[in-house]
Amino acid sequence: MRAAVIEELTGPDGLRVRDFPDPVGAHPRAGGQRLLVEVHAASVSFPDLLQSRGEYQISTDPPFVSGGEVAGMVIEAPADSRFAPGDRVAGMTIWGAMAERALALPDYTVKLPDAMDYAHGAALWLNSATAWFAVQRAAVQPGETVLVQGAAGGVGTAALEVLKDRGARSIAVVSSAAKAQVAREMGANDVVRSNGPWLEQVRALTDGRGVEVVLDPVGGDRFTDSLRALDVGGRLVVIGFAGGSIPTVKVNRLLLRNLTVTGIGLDPMDHRFPGTTRRVSEAVVALADRGVLRPRIGARLPLEQGAEALRILERREAVGNIIVDVRA
Amino acid sequence: MRAIVVKKLIGPDGAGLDEIPEPQGSHWLSPGERMLLDVHAAAICFPDLLQTRGQYQHSVPAPFVAGGEVAGVVVESPPGSDFAPGDRVLGLARRGAMAERALVPPGYVLRLPDGLSFAHGAAVYINYCTAWYALHRAGARPDETVLVQGAAGGVGTAVLQLAPRFGVRTIAVVSSDAKEQLVRGLGANEVVRSGDPWLAEVRGLTGGRGVQVVIDMVGGDRFTDSVRVLAIGGRLIVVGFAAGSIPTLKVNRLLLRNLTLIGISMDIMEEEHPGTVAVINAAVQALLDDGTIVPVVGARVDLENGAEALRIMERREALGKIVIDVRR
Repeated sequence: MRAAVIEELTGPDGLRVRDFPDPVGAHPRAGGQRLLVEVHAASVSFPDLLQSRGEYQISTDPPFVSGGEVAGMVIEAPADSRFAPGDRVAGMTIWGAMAERALALPDYTVKLPDAMDYAHGAALWLNSATAWFAVQRAAVQPGETVLVQGAAGGVGTAALEVLKDRGARSIAVVSSAAKAQVAREMGANDVVRSNGPWLEQVRALTDGRGVEVVLDPVGGDRFTDSLRALDVGGRLVVIGFAGGSIPTVKVNRLLLRNLTVTGIGLDPMDHRFPGTTRRVSEAVVALADRGVLRPRIGARLPLEQGAEALRILERREAVGNIIVDVRA
Repeated sequence: MRAIVVKKLIGPDGAGLDEIPEPQGSHWLSPGERMLLDVHAAAICFPDLLQTRGQYQHSVPAPFVAGGEVAGVVVESPPGSDFAPGDRVLGLARRGAMAERALVPPGYVLRLPDGLSFAHGAAVYINYCTAWYALHRAGARPDETVLVQGAAGGVGTAVLQLAPRFGVRTIAVVSSDAKEQLVRGLGANEVVRSGDPWLAEVRGLTGGRGVQVVIDMVGGDRFTDSVRVLAIGGRLIVVGFAAGSIPTLKVNRLLLRNLTLIGISMDIMEEEHPGTVAVINAAVQALLDDGTIVPVVGARVDLENGAEALRIMERREALGKIVIDVRR
């Protein structure tokens, strides 16, 4: 089969599109469950770029097929699984998606709603699952106000959709006019700019009180202001550090204002509490079926340009997911 | 009336017995609602000592009457209040308790059960309200394990006593033989010593997983190990910094293991979210009424020796609450 193969851990330049053996057995992280998918579209995101340099915590030795998310049609499924040959599905592969056939992980796979095409399906799982898990761990209630950092990013836009569905009010923090437009299209109630006096603006938008919840996939220098933006008793969910630097909290900040800071990571949670990922997948498919989730596509390329897909990530060019069409 | 008056902000030596007028009007936290007690016993905690030097965040200029916590009999109560003259009560006066009569804010008063002495009653409010609120905010559930830092202290001993009512197993961290003996007597399920490799011991006691909840009154150097000792998905409640230094934490520690840090402060929560203290009062009243609460009294002095009570606190001599008997 044709595949985008990481030959050496030298970044996107180490990727070659070539013939590669069909996947055998089960995905090494699928507990022996072989779920083979005929790939229609793949999606790449930041961990895929890190894997191409050997810098991600979950990876495999080269040569391996790149691509963390997949959408396609089931060819083979375990007898006792929720899937059957012919099902349209989407989900995580962690690696292996940029190929004509890929092994999926059943717990990290959902049936694709009829109304969603494969290109959007490939962009569905990771961002939606992360956003839903973050909102769930924050126990967001209808009527609460939630500040979303990095709101035009993949997790951010999915969070805006989940929050709207839940009846919460969202305030999006974005860094450009184009991203402000994206956040508004995705349903943000208010938008503030990270390079402006956003903390004061957020206070003004909340009668001086601050927000009940902050969802933060960014980290970095803004973190302390994110804590300051919380009302007394507020909750901040740490999703990631897209800003590059890992913030530090002086814990008397939490004491003095009764704040809660929660870190989320689906994979370790599922290891300790099996079934967590399955529940998240069920929530994602329910939201997708109701049309709540509409993944954004920022770039679309054919399989032959798999290396370029990773380079677009490297240059942080795309607003939205980067999709590789395997069967156009 | 006789009272221990702080005349100079120089520490316990600035306090002494004096004859002063009875309190007029109402407590500053409940304007217009005069609630006057015949004081039988007063009790102190660390902020009372800080106030004798003007070092507390809510300090006032001298002169003022020392003593934060009180138990006695109602002399006057405001119309429509839950209390009537003759009722045995306990509560939080914040200042003024070391006197024959004291004003209290009705929102910080509980009924003293017949089976509990005034001396024990004076030792209830702060420690047990804080302990209950800490377990409540932690969302402590049956069969979870709770590690208690500073377990022989006022809040620590209260947590150990309330733990069975939350259905949780406790591991107490203490620093001496005497403290170990005290917490074993209070029903701690396991005891580890802060001078030993307690982190490894706690892992051993929890099948390698760690604990679901840490309640931390101590802060300081131990904090990072308190985070390390949490199981995946665990919660750490920041109650205070008895060790003197305020810890900092890099937040990726939370992300990788799905941990939650929660700061608590009842007063600040009450200001922004009125009704918080009423919920705590109702819970602690029920635990008083059913006999769960039996405060640990570590030292007793007569009113004449009120300044000595503050010195005992300064020397950190007492194991348990320091109580001043006003009427024996």
